Amino acid sequence: MKLTVCIGSSCHLKGSRQIVEQFQKLISENHLEDKVELVGTFCLGSCQTGVSVKIDETLFSVAPEDTKAFFEREVLPRL
Amino acid sequence: MNNLCADIGYNSLNKYGEELCGDHVEIIEQGENSMVIVLADGLGSGVKASILSTLTSKIISTMMAADMSIEECVSTIAQTLPVCSVRQVAYSTFTIIRIVGGIEAEIIQYDNPKVIFLRDGENIDYPSEALDIAGKRILKSKVYIKEGDILVALSDGVPHAGIGVTLNLGWKMENIIEYIKTFCHVGFTAKTLTTMLLDECYGLYGGKPGDDTTVCTVKIRRREPMNLVIGPPSNPADCNKMMSLFFSKEGKHIVCGGTTSNIAAEYLHKPLKTKLEYIDKDIPPIAEIEGVDLTTEGVITINRVLAYAQDYLKDNESYREWSSKRDGASLIARMLFEEATDINFFVGMAVNPAHQNPNLPINFSIKMRLVDQLAECLKKMGKKIKVSYF
Repeated sequence: MKLTVCIGSSCHLKGSRQIVEQFQKLISENHLEDKVELVGTFCLGSCQTGVSVKIDETLFSVAPEDTKAFFEREVLPRL
Repeated sequence: MNNLCADIGYNSLNKYGEELCGDHVEIIEQGENSMVIVLADGLGSGVKASILSTLTSKIISTMMAADMSIEECVSTIAQTLPVCSVRQVAYSTFTIIRIVGGIEAEIIQYDNPKVIFLRDGENIDYPSEALDIAGKRILKSKVYIKEGDILVALSDGVPHAGIGVTLNLGWKMENIIEYIKTFCHVGFTAKTLTTMLLDECYGLYGGKPGDDTTVCTVKIRRREPMNLVIGPPSNPADCNKMMSLFFSKEGKHIVCGGTTSNIAAEYLHKPLKTKLEYIDKDIPPIAEIEGVDLTTEGVITINRVLAYAQDYLKDNESYREWSSKRDGASLIARMLFEEATDINFFVGMAVNPAHQNPNLPINFSIKMRLVDQLAECLKKMGKKIKVSYF
């Protein structure tokens, strides 16, 4: 699975760094390094609803404080 | 005429307790690679010295730039400077460095410490002839310059550093030269060399300079063009035109902005690879595109570069931050401040709809202002700047 986090200007200001850090932590805690590839991207064009996060080609909007819930709700079931 | 140019950096320490500096540096450019640099040190300190040195350096640089002879300059000064009521003299020592056509340097000195001339890390003892103009003994020299040469003009506050505090007789010229020799081959800019020398003086004075202390470093270097594109063009149909103009320019290429990097990657038919390393927590990570020397996020990164540029022109304190870090802003700062001599800005005027959100601290006018301010700062660093809008 490819997990893409937008690090463009808008999303950066809305906290993409915290999300990236939490994802990195969650991935290593769950030993998913082989299954989930975490990548960054510049603007995905959905800045108003950022932070934009993509699971493969599906776009989601995640707030930094919801990262863990999002990971459990959307990422884990898809593996 | 050749492709050599002069990188000039100067700064001063004020005498302890003084608000004004009694030393003054004035630079006038004469076309492509000729210029006149004057460092004047006014008699005494404070406002009187400041007026004397400002007048002296302004008059000399303006007259020299208009191709008038040194004799005329000196006699003009002798007749114009206001006479000090206490000492009954009008007096300001000066050093003139005149670079002609990027080939030779004319050094004219009156009572300031002798200009230091370093080539390949070695001190060169250049010959000088003594002139008597209006009763003043003036030394005149002519040296041929080549890439890497370093000329350092000082006010007497430098060799006087530490007198009676840390050194009995001050900082001897030979020791100053030794000090510069240890750093000169590293590739520091003139501004950084100047800062290092002044820091040392400040330390020797124990933090309380006993005299106005000025260093002006001139480094002869090759011209280095640099190109930076930020923002997509206002008309999306102009993307290709903008990119082909940008990539056809000689020199390194920096792409700033998310959408802009996508356009560049598309134009080059190369993938855009974003990194996820947060070297500086406030600066978004950089990316890679084959064929582009540096790809970064836009406004946030440039905003930081601007802060570094403004500081560079003041006391250069954030040098420690940007001189070695690998985040986007530090990398751009090094490329623009240290490497480049000629910078072309390609500024796209498209309005990013995402940035119109009133909750965000960025918007279109801020972006335009950032570029304008940065260009202004870089001009003050002595760079040639061209800004094109799309």
